[in-house]
Amino acid sequence: MHDSRAKMLISGGAPSGLSRRTLEGVGVFVREQWREVQYLAAVLGTVLFLSAQPRRWRRTVRDVFKWQFFFFGVESVRFILILAVLVGMSVVVQLGVWTGKLGQSQKLGPLLVVVVVRELGPLFANFVLIVCGGSAIATELGLMKVGGEVRVIEAQGLEPLLFLVMPRVLAMALAAFCLTVIFVFVAFASGYGFGGFFGHSNLDPAVFLNSVFNALHPFDAIGFLVKCLLPALLTGVICSTEGLSVEGGVTQVPPAAKRALARSLFALFLTSALVSLLTYS
Amino acid sequence: MNDSPAILKFSQVTIESGAHYETGLWNSSFDLNQGELLLVRMEREDERLPLADATEGLVPPRQGSVLFLGEDWQRMSADHAAAQRGKIGRLFEDEGWISDLDVDQNIMLSQRHHTPRSEQDILEEALKLARVFGLPGLPRGRPGSMRRWDLRKAACVRAFLGAPAFIILEQPVRGVYADLMAPLVNAVQSARKRGAAVLWTVTDPKIWNHSSLRTTTRARMFGSELRAVETESP
Repeated sequence: MHDSRAKMLISGGAPSGLSRRTLEGVGVFVREQWREVQYLAAVLGTVLFLSAQPRRWRRTVRDVFKWQFFFFGVESVRFILILAVLVGMSVVVQLGVWTGKLGQSQKLGPLLVVVVVRELGPLFANFVLIVCGGSAIATELGLMKVGGEVRVIEAQGLEPLLFLVMPRVLAMALAAFCLTVIFVFVAFASGYGFGGFFGHSNLDPAVFLNSVFNALHPFDAIGFLVKCLLPALLTGVICSTEGLSVEGGVTQVPPAAKRALARSLFALFLTSALVSLLTYS
Repeated sequence: MNDSPAILKFSQVTIESGAHYETGLWNSSFDLNQGELLLVRMEREDERLPLADATEGLVPPRQGSVLFLGEDWQRMSADHAAAQRGKIGRLFEDEGWISDLDVDQNIMLSQRHHTPRSEQDILEEALKLARVFGLPGLPRGRPGSMRRWDLRKAACVRAFLGAPAFIILEQPVRGVYADLMAPLVNAVQSARKRGAAVLWTVTDPKIWNHSSLRTTTRARMFGSELRAVETESP
């Protein structure tokens, strides 16, 4: 007891063994996460670089892209429509009611742009994509890896990055853009419709649309695109790399899919928050 | 005198077994030229060899080099290596199907990826080959829903489609000997006549001793060493 106290005194209050271990653990964690971020950025950069070269878009790659876009985009439309109607009912109606009560009806447009276009649209569209498409990517590629199908693809001279990863990542991004646009329009329409139906909104449709469009600035388009596309690209890369990194048997696929979903959700909220911070600051 | 390089050249290749194979390769050397057939006999307990993967440059040798059409796989760029693999037809030991594609899509995948041939052209050749191997047409439907012997025949169609320069047949008639042996031997002879090299692996002594297989070289695996046991003039 005295010895340890003496040691602490000698070391000038240096951290004890436990806190040193904790610090060490934090350091290792941060370093690993940083490496992971670098790796994902490298994969994303390579995918974008390759996709800019027309000769990479062979018919087999185009087929995968089309199929994946159909799978992520078209299959998720029903889900996004339901969400958009519900968001329209709750958020758009409420904003309409409260701006009306406060005598600030002219602020409805800017508020809707901020809440629905900038925030909720990209967030919900990407959320739906992560749940529907991200888990499918990680599971499918994980099963292909453990089943030896990735090796078969390589043996036939098809590069997995080109044939498996690139079309999935880009289809994810295009699907995110389309779903966000659908979400925004349907949320506005349902909000306006329900507001009118329940007598909460007495705005003329032209006035309503005008207030929204007048509130849109070119800068919003950039923020909208970044918030739509960046999380989707990251989701595609995270889920693909997690799936392709599965080793061992099929029992390793569900943990990989779980990790992929958790990381994709984290990336979605982080990028969303960072872009908002950069936009408003 | 033929000046073209060997289609495949193994020079003192050593590959460790690792987790994926039952045995490795040790100090193995051989050449496979145009029109040649190398028959390799393996022991049943050591069926999973890195030999086929090494010929395609999918596993790097610890020592030695593997040259395909005169170029070392290890020195090729990823793009070039992928393009070179497109010149190889392979019948995988474990079937090797992409479960998310239909069998006909699987068969035509490599040709559609590597060549500018029209879909119709590829389809017609695939249909012709399918009939050669005893299929009424190109099988449709997912590989998981097909009968094993039909899949084996479809795998033969895939291996010979597009007149590959090099054909790897990993135990091609296992379980389907009676149905497949004669058309396969004919297809191999035709491919050799047009200049393709063939590597055929077997465990079954019946195929090893098959009289119609006019091999250039017969080699056996002794442990992890590949040793030629018989060489004939082509």
